[in-house]
Amino acid sequence: MVVTLERDDVSELIRSEDMWEPIGPTPMPEIPDLRNWSMRLLKTYKPFYAPFCDLCCLCTYGKCDLTAGRKGACGIDIASQQARVVLIACCMGLSAHGAHARHLIDYLIEKLGEDYKIDLGMQVNVEAPIARTVMGLKPETLGDLRKVVEYVERGLIHLVSSTHTGQEGSDLDFEVKNLHAGMLDLLVMEAADIAQIVGFGYPTSIADTPLVDIGWGSIDRTKAMVLCIGHNAASANAVIDYLRANDLEDEVEVCGICCTAHDVTRYSDKAKVIGPLSRQLFFLRCGIADVIVTDEQCVLTNVPEEARKTGAALIAASDKICYGLEDATERETDEIVQEMVDDGKQFVIFDPEKAGEVAARVAIEIAPRRKKGFIDEAEAQELAKGCEKCKAYMCSQVCPNLLPIQQGMQQAAEGSFDRLRSLFDQCFTCGKCEQECPRHLPIAKIMQSVATKETFKLRSGRGPVHDVEIRKVGSPIVLGTIPGIIAFVGCSNYPDIEDVAEMAEEFAKRKYIVCLSGCAAMVAAMKKDEEGKTIYEKYPPDFDAGCILNVGSCVANSHIAGAAIKVANIFATLPGRANYEVIADYILNRVGACGVAWGAYSQKAATIGTGFNRWGVPVVLGPHSSKYRRLYLSRKEEDDWTVMDGRTGQLVDTQEPTPEHLAYVIESKERAMVTIPKLCMRRNDTPQGRQIKLSHYISLYKRYMGTLPDDLHHVVRSTRDIPLVYKKEVLPYLKEMGWKEKPALSLPTLIGTYPSKVRLEAVIH
Amino acid sequence: MAEVMKLPFWRVNVLTGLKGARVIEDPRECASLIRRAKRPLFVAGPRAIDHYFDNGKTSLEYVLEIARLVNMPTCATAHVKKRMLELGIKPDSVYDIIEIINHLKDPDWQGVRKEGNHDLIVFSGIRCELAELGLSTLKHFAPHLKTMALCRYSHPNADYAQPILSDEKWKGYFEELVTNLQQ
Ligand code: SF4
Ligand code: SF4
Ligand code: SF4
Repeated sequence: MVVTLERDDVSELIRSEDMWEPIGPTPMPEIPDLRNWSMRLLKTYKPFYAPFCDLCCLCTYGKCDLTAGRKGACGIDIASQQARVVLIACCMGLSAHGAHARHLIDYLIEKLGEDYKIDLGMQVNVEAPIARTVMGLKPETLGDLRKVVEYVERGLIHLVSSTHTGQEGSDLDFEVKNLHAGMLDLLVMEAADIAQIVGFGYPTSIADTPLVDIGWGSIDRTKAMVLCIGHNAASANAVIDYLRANDLEDEVEVCGICCTAHDVTRYSDKAKVIGPLSRQLFFLRCGIADVIVTDEQCVLTNVPEEARKTGAALIAASDKICYGLEDATERETDEIVQEMVDDGKQFVIFDPEKAGEVAARVAIEIAPRRKKGFIDEAEAQELAKGCEKCKAYMCSQVCPNLLPIQQGMQQAAEGSFDRLRSLFDQCFTCGKCEQECPRHLPIAKIMQSVATKETFKLRSGRGPVHDVEIRKVGSPIVLGTIPGIIAFVGCSNYPDIEDVAEMAEEFAKRKYIVCLSGCAAMVAAMKKDEEGKTIYEKYPPDFDAGCILNVGSCVANSHIAGAAIKVANIFATLPGRANYEVIADYILNRVGACGVAWGAYSQKAATIGTGFNRWGVPVVLGPHSSKYRRLYLSRKEEDDWTVMDGRTGQLVDTQEPTPEHLAYVIESKERAMVTIPKLCMRRNDTPQGRQIKLSHYISLYKRYMGTLPDDLHHVVRSTRDIPLVYKKEVLPYLKEMGWKEKPALSLPTLIGTYPSKVRLEAVIH
Repeated sequence: MAEVMKLPFWRVNVLTGLKGARVIEDPRECASLIRRAKRPLFVAGPRAIDHYFDNGKTSLEYVLEIARLVNMPTCATAHVKKRMLELGIKPDSVYDIIEIINHLKDPDWQGVRKEGNHDLIVFSGIRCELAELGLSTLKHFAPHLKTMALCRYSHPNADYAQPILSDEKWKGYFEELVTNLQQ
């Protein structure tokens, strides 16, 4: 039984009489509508499971042990259980973004009205490529964005319900639902970012958004300071509003950690970014913040305790995180300020304007009392002497990165800080080490002595890619002469904080289009070259070959998917409206994009990555992401790479594994450097385009692996694909491997290779 | 550390899964397990390149010595290939860690020497969290083979694991293992 919205309701919701494009086969799709597309993807990119836990404890029949072929009392096996846990994670991620969008949109509708127009400026006509393609809706007002959220909420309830005991029993069907959750996630993120761009007046239709300061060194410590943590900038922006209205902008520093930081700098270029999520505890402990305002997502759950330790004031500004605090929303502002200043009380305030005013006023009042700051090396040396070099190495045992903290402490105790400095680059300040240390050594505090105090430059988030940019790069992307779009996204659970800047720069130098977002965009700014410049100062901010752009916070990831959709819709003029399969198929076969979530940690990141996968975009993950427990992999030698030639209607065995995987974990940066360019190859590459892609693949492979790539015979289709400079080496290698020319085809597509309402002609443009 | 109870009689309360590694304390037993395997495979990860013992040797050098002594094929993951070539040894196969595990899962895979899937996979030098997850995949989905972790941090998801060892003792374990395999 499938309960779907009546066609009439869908028709009304998407205003089907409004014929801006013909309506495709899947307006406002529900789980069954795109099931076949997902199954087709899963046929090539099979789920790979790495159980993180052998058990299930979700109902009172359990715990059930699922090892060695055992099934749970409900009949579930280990593979389906993994897929089920991934769905739980994806639903968490989707609901976090969905609730964030819901709050922002409701808040902005209350302020501006539901008829408030969506206008993203001169350069962005296709305002919401995801909403158009998924739902068939062209959102015109904030009220339309609410429709998007309502559609997502409807989908979410079905998805969550499938995770209940005695529901779905197939790992593949769980994966269909995961892909559905991912699709809804990107959709609702798009709605959230559009809402905040129009509602808060963030920059749009410009590429060279301001360069803003990032790093704790950028804070003027003579001023009062409000630190905003989280992802929903409504309250942070309200702090700015209050300061502006009262001519106090030069007296109070407004800084952010995580995505709120991105978004508040889109609101005011005087706001500053402290850094990514991974520096949260570190920064809280240094006590520089006078007032902490928490909103939602990725906020430490013990902020009240940490704030008390340093004497910082705390306002929790979201219903998602109330910390058990008294609700002061209805109370008089003067009274709240007084109790916070005099008695150190912490409050939850749900009204962003009130929270903003209280934060600013309290910060000004208590700043003169602030005593804390970074400790210096001499103090750190004294503290490090407290390390008793215990034999159990408890600090290392509990460290998620197994860092040899004892070594760092020993050397620091002797006055040498280099080891500790390099450890700090790999540490994400979770604080587990000092929790276990028998001497309670303040390790995070000792780290302050080695943390750089420099100020870096980050380009503030620019939102959507411009239609005119797509017109310019569409052709070279599809032909392959721009070797790829590489998107560094996600959180900061990295093997090493410097990796992202290094990888982003390498690919920009090689004329890829490099996009960044979220914490990845921040850490990429926290590295300077010999001239003291960050990558944002060195490379142009356009969506073009050899450029580096920051789209913005996590919700702005949707614009990267949006850019791929626009290549199909604007450049190739394929109708996008309610035409998911055709557009995703185009992206999979033609748009050489690859996401890199090198430090993904959150459930949201799992959902985002899965959403990209459903659009046909592969995602490379860093080593910690193996804990997501599911990947989508092919086996290039064994698998069937047959696709349809859209023009001839013939099935063609391409023998070409491109892209090779959809969700893939990599252990080392070096290996990532050779895998990313490979995952940018597409079947549609022209010989000239493939030559360019191969020349990067070969040169990076030689640099990091020492030889020609072992799988060249899989990705060279004809001798015309071979880059001229490597021809002499490649030809003998191919001969040795018994390589034969692969069949050519003119319009590669999966349409026609699985049951679908889409007719083959629909892919011809 | 106080011993943690692993498995009460009433298994519904299990504290962990029912299948965990056997710790191989004695390098001689380790050698005999390796020698008894018909088609073993050594999977070497990047930490083996970076880990230096106080005698100046990397753990990769021990790995290669072990593989050579029993004519065990090697699989170089991540960027290990380059270092192996620098040491003058061509890896028998080059797969990234996830790829090799994905292949090993398939009982019909013909292995790196095309002689059939491997029966014992020896791992060393892979980041702990990734190794543990990869071993979990094989524990659950590859009942046709056994896994062994030569890692001084020990791995519960392997079939055979070394005990937790100090660097010094780990080196000693490797040395003894090599001596035993030479005999
Ligand atoms: S949901 Fe199924 S596997 Fe999980 S505890 Fe209940 S019966 Fe066992
Ligand atoms: S704070 Fe850093 S060093 Fe300590 S356990 Fe966490 S990641 Fe490891
Ligand atoms: S746990 Fe504490 S005392 Fe022991 S080695 Fe680590 S820092 Fe030193």
